[in-house]
Amino acid sequence: MIASDDNKKSCRPPEAEPTASGGSVPIWIFILTLVLLFFGAVYFDRHSGWFNKLVYTPFQSADELAIYQPKSGEAAMIAHGKAVYESVCGTCHGSDGLGKPDQVPPLAGSEWVSKDIPSLVRVPQLGLNGPIKVAGKDWNLAMAPMGAGLSDADLAGVLTYIRQSWGNRSSTVSTDDVKAARAAISGNAPSTEQLAKMTPMERGHALFQKYGCFQCHGQDGKGGVTNTNAKTAEQVPSLIYVADGYTKDELIAFVSRGERVIPRMNPNGPEPPHFMPKWGPIINTNELSDIADFLFSLKPKGSDVGF
Amino acid sequence: MIHWNKKILFVGLLALTITVRADDTLDAATQARINAFEKGPATIDVSKYPQGIQDNYAIFSQKCTQCHKLSRPINSDYALPDEWSRYVKRMMRKPGSGIDSSDGKKIYEFLTYDSSVRKKALLDDKLAKLTPEEKAADEAKIKEVHDKYDGK
Repeated sequence: MIASDDNKKSCRPPEAEPTASGGSVPIWIFILTLVLLFFGAVYFDRHSGWFNKLVYTPFQSADELAIYQPKSGEAAMIAHGKAVYESVCGTCHGSDGLGKPDQVPPLAGSEWVSKDIPSLVRVPQLGLNGPIKVAGKDWNLAMAPMGAGLSDADLAGVLTYIRQSWGNRSSTVSTDDVKAARAAISGNAPSTEQLAKMTPMERGHALFQKYGCFQCHGQDGKGGVTNTNAKTAEQVPSLIYVADGYTKDELIAFVSRGERVIPRMNPNGPEPPHFMPKWGPIINTNELSDIADFLFSLKPKGSDVGF
Repeated sequence: MIHWNKKILFVGLLALTITVRADDTLDAATQARINAFEKGPATIDVSKYPQGIQDNYAIFSQKCTQCHKLSRPINSDYALPDEWSRYVKRMMRKPGSGIDSSDGKKIYEFLTYDSSVRKKALLDDKLAKLTPEEKAADEAKIKEVHDKYDGK
């Protein structure tokens, strides 16, 4: 038996020692890994926490939690003002209040920010246009009345925030201060009752003034302020021909959306200082409709171009 | 693996940055539409068009490329005379456009003619959706351009 077993074994080829061969990892594993890594990167970025343990671990104590709660009174007002500032003013004046060289004056260290409250309220309420000296430097630009649509409380918060940030040390501004300052400068602006009696076109004109469209587009939209290095012949465009180029819906959509990036005349030159603000959050739909009616009425008679 | 991680992280951040930047300029839907138009062909074969329309095509090519790619209007989803009239005027009225009303009219005529040939299906589709009055007005404008140039 033993002999025959040996014989059988000898007939089979000798068993090979198992070895590792150069197999390839399926491609889908790579793809899956890439997708997961990409998702991970996006997730980390979205949540902005990276690997900081403070972000992911719960609070250590009630005291620590309390630090992060909104304070009442002044601190809450400043926190609210900061939020409004970031969404309305920060685009140009910057989160650091430094503005932009040659394009937007700074608020940090600006004597205008520290002025008496009625003077300060005028700037966001009415806009500002023309030569001005800020912190020892001359500027000649235009700002739309970005604050005209803000509530008294929102504007008070913003003004308090800028008066007490970036090294500025001035008094707080209360909601009543803003209310009083606004009442004093409303002057001959039409009242709500008067507005209600006007035709849409007249109301649109009043709103064109209220929101300071003229600061950049000129009185009655006849055109503009200089906009250095803007492709539109370095001007803020006039508005008298919008009736030719837009349907009412298109015009309202454009004004709501604004145009943050203005094409440059010289691509390597500076960013044009003026851009069309996003008015959607500031001017309501009925008002936009009235403004469109007013703008359509500006088209000069006899200016049809035959197509 | 560390290197891969960094690369992917970079790509992820880049993609996010681009998304955020795009938000600044136009809404995503409009930007996507423009990008899609601009990816298409950048020229039109006008050899079979009447001579006058071919001349207008030359003006169109020269004036409109001052500010944007020619592929944008060529592949856009505008086709009605009413749409072209409005958009040509909108561009023409921009300060410094260098397009006077006579050039503007030629560009409008080219686009209206071209849409009635090259974008016929789209045009018919759009005409069918108009009110009878609007449809008649637009058809009259198309006919006007054809009468002016055809056979010359």
